[in-house]
Amino acid sequence: MFAELNSILNTSPDSFKPGEFILVSDKHTDASFLIHHFLSFYLRAGCKVCFLGLVQSFSHYSAISQRLGVSLTQGREKGQLVFLEGLKESLGVLLQGEASKETRTMDFLRDPSSGLRGLYDFVRDNVRGAVGGAEEWGPPVLLVDDLSVVLSLGVSVGAALDFSHYCRATVCSELQGSMVMLVRCEAEEEEESDDEGSERLLRGLIHQCSLTLQVQGLPTGYCRDIHGQVEVCWRGQCDRQQAQKKLFQYKVHDKGASFFARGMSSAVL
Amino acid sequence: MLLEVLQGTEAGGFILIQDSVNYCGRHLLKSCINTALKREEVVHVLGFEVSQEELNDGLDRTSAQRLHFHNAYSDPLGWTGNSPFTVHQFTLEDISTLLKQTPQAKAVTLVIDSLSWILRHHDPAAICQKLQALKKGGVVRAVIGLLHSDLHQRGTVGSICHLATSVITVAPGTRGLGAFAKITRRTKSGKLMQDEEIFSINEDLTVTIQSKRSHPGSTPMNTDESEVDPTANLTFNLRLSDTQREAKEKLPLPFVFSKEKKSALLHPGTGSGRILYEPDANDDYDQEDPDDDLDV
Repeated sequence: MFAELNSILNTSPDSFKPGEFILVSDKHTDASFLIHHFLSFYLRAGCKVCFLGLVQSFSHYSAISQRLGVSLTQGREKGQLVFLEGLKESLGVLLQGEASKETRTMDFLRDPSSGLRGLYDFVRDNVRGAVGGAEEWGPPVLLVDDLSVVLSLGVSVGAALDFSHYCRATVCSELQGSMVMLVRCEAEEEEESDDEGSERLLRGLIHQCSLTLQVQGLPTGYCRDIHGQVEVCWRGQCDRQQAQKKLFQYKVHDKGASFFARGMSSAVL
Repeated sequence: MLLEVLQGTEAGGFILIQDSVNYCGRHLLKSCINTALKREEVVHVLGFEVSQEELNDGLDRTSAQRLHFHNAYSDPLGWTGNSPFTVHQFTLEDISTLLKQTPQAKAVTLVIDSLSWILRHHDPAAICQKLQALKKGGVVRAVIGLLHSDLHQRGTVGSICHLATSVITVAPGTRGLGAFAKITRRTKSGKLMQDEEIFSINEDLTVTIQSKRSHPGSTPMNTDESEVDPTANLTFNLRLSDTQREAKEKLPLPFVFSKEKKSALLHPGTGSGRILYEPDANDDYDQEDPDDDLDV
C-alpha cells in the first residue's frame, strides 16, 4: 500500500468510497505496481478479495505483497482472499483430452467465441460471502490482472466489455463493493484502424468506470529517477461535476512507490 | 439552440446525444429526462449502462411516478436466467408491450441509455431500422438516445446521426468554463441548422448557456490577459521608447547592398583615397576599363 497514493486518491483502508470501479491502464510501461497497491490496500481494509490473476502465478504476488507487509498465503487460508491462478488453470484446460465439466471458468480458452461467462460465474460465486462463515469480511472487492490478455487469446472486445459490465453490476451496484481492473494497451501506431483492439477495450472500460489511473512512460524518454507519469481522472458519474484530472509522476522502489507533482522529484530538486 | 432542442416537443423527434471518454453525456441526458418530466410527459427509460439508483440520482422526485425505468442493467444478456429486460428484446413489438404495461394518455418519451450497448450486440442496420420504426410508428412521441461515438466505427455513428432529428455532440470545455456542445438540427421541412454553444449543468439538472459560437480549438478572448509580460519586473530596461524604436527601424542592415552604398563605391567623394599610378616602361597600360561591360 502506498501512502502517497492514498492521499492523492483521498482514501484509506478505514474509509473508502463503496461501489467504485477503478480502471488502471498503461501504455509503453508496466502499471502492475498499482495492482499490488490495491491488493494490499483492500486486504488491510478487511474486505473479501477475489483476485483473477491471469498473467502471473500466486507466488509472484505473494512475494511482492510480503514486501508491502501483507501475507497472501494467510489471507487465502483465512478465506479472505480467493485467488484464481489463471496460468495453472489454463494448463489443466489445454492439456485435458475431453471437456471437463468442473472447470468452466477458463472455458474461453477452449472456445473464445463463447465469451467470459464462465469467468463471471466464478466471480459471482466467490464474491458473495460464505453463508454462516466464521469471520465477517467487509464489502467484496474484485481485482483483475489483467483484462487485455483475453484479447490476445481470441476473446472479442465486446465479450470483455460484457464481462466487466456484469462484474460491475454484481460487485459494485448490487453488493456495493469495489472493482479494480488493469488494462494494458499495445503500442499501436495506426490511429483509426484499430476497431478490435486494446484501445477500444480501454475506451469502453473508461465509459463504465468511476476512476481511472492512466500510467505512461515519460513523454521525453527514459529517466532513472522518474519511472513515468500517472494521470488520475475522477469521472463525474454520481456528482454533476465534470471529470477532475490530476497528473503525477512516480518512481517505483523496492518496498513501494513514491508519487510527486511534476518537476518535484527529489532527484531534481 | 441547445435549450430549444431540450425543450423540443415535436412528435417523431429523435434526439441523439453523442459523447466520448473525455466528457460524459449522461448529465445532459438526465437533464433531458428532467425537462420531459417537468413537461408532464411520461418517460420510459431503457437502462443498459447504469443502475436505476444512479440514473435517478438528481432527477425531479415529484414527478417520479411518470418515470418508468426498465432494468436492462443487471442482466442484459440473460446470463442469470430471470432478466427483466435483455438486449435481444429491443424490438418494436417488445417495446410496445413494455409501454403498454403502464397506462398513459399522454405522449411517451423513450430514453435509451445507451445506444452503444445495443449496437455492440446487434447489427447496425437492424438497429437503424428499429429506430426508424420507433420514430414513425407512433408508439412513442420522441426518442432520446445516448451514443458513445468513440466506441464505434465512423460509418455506424454516421448512420445513427442521419436518423436523428437533432444531434448534440458534447466535449469538454476549455479552462473549466463548462462543456462544449455542437448542435445540428433538422426540421421537418429538411432545413439544417447548426450551432455551437458552451453550457453547464446546474445542481438541479437545468442547463445554463454560457456563451455562443466559441469553438474549443480557437483561442478565447482573454488570451492577452493570461499572457505574462516578460519585460515587466526586471532590474534593467528592455523596452524601447518611440524615438528609439524609430531609430532602430531606420538602421540599415550591414550586408544589404543599398543605393547609397553602391554610389559611394562607384563614385568616391573628394578627399577619399585615390590611386596614383605611374606606368613603367615595360607595363602594358590599357586605358580602357576592364569592367566596362559589366552591367552594375
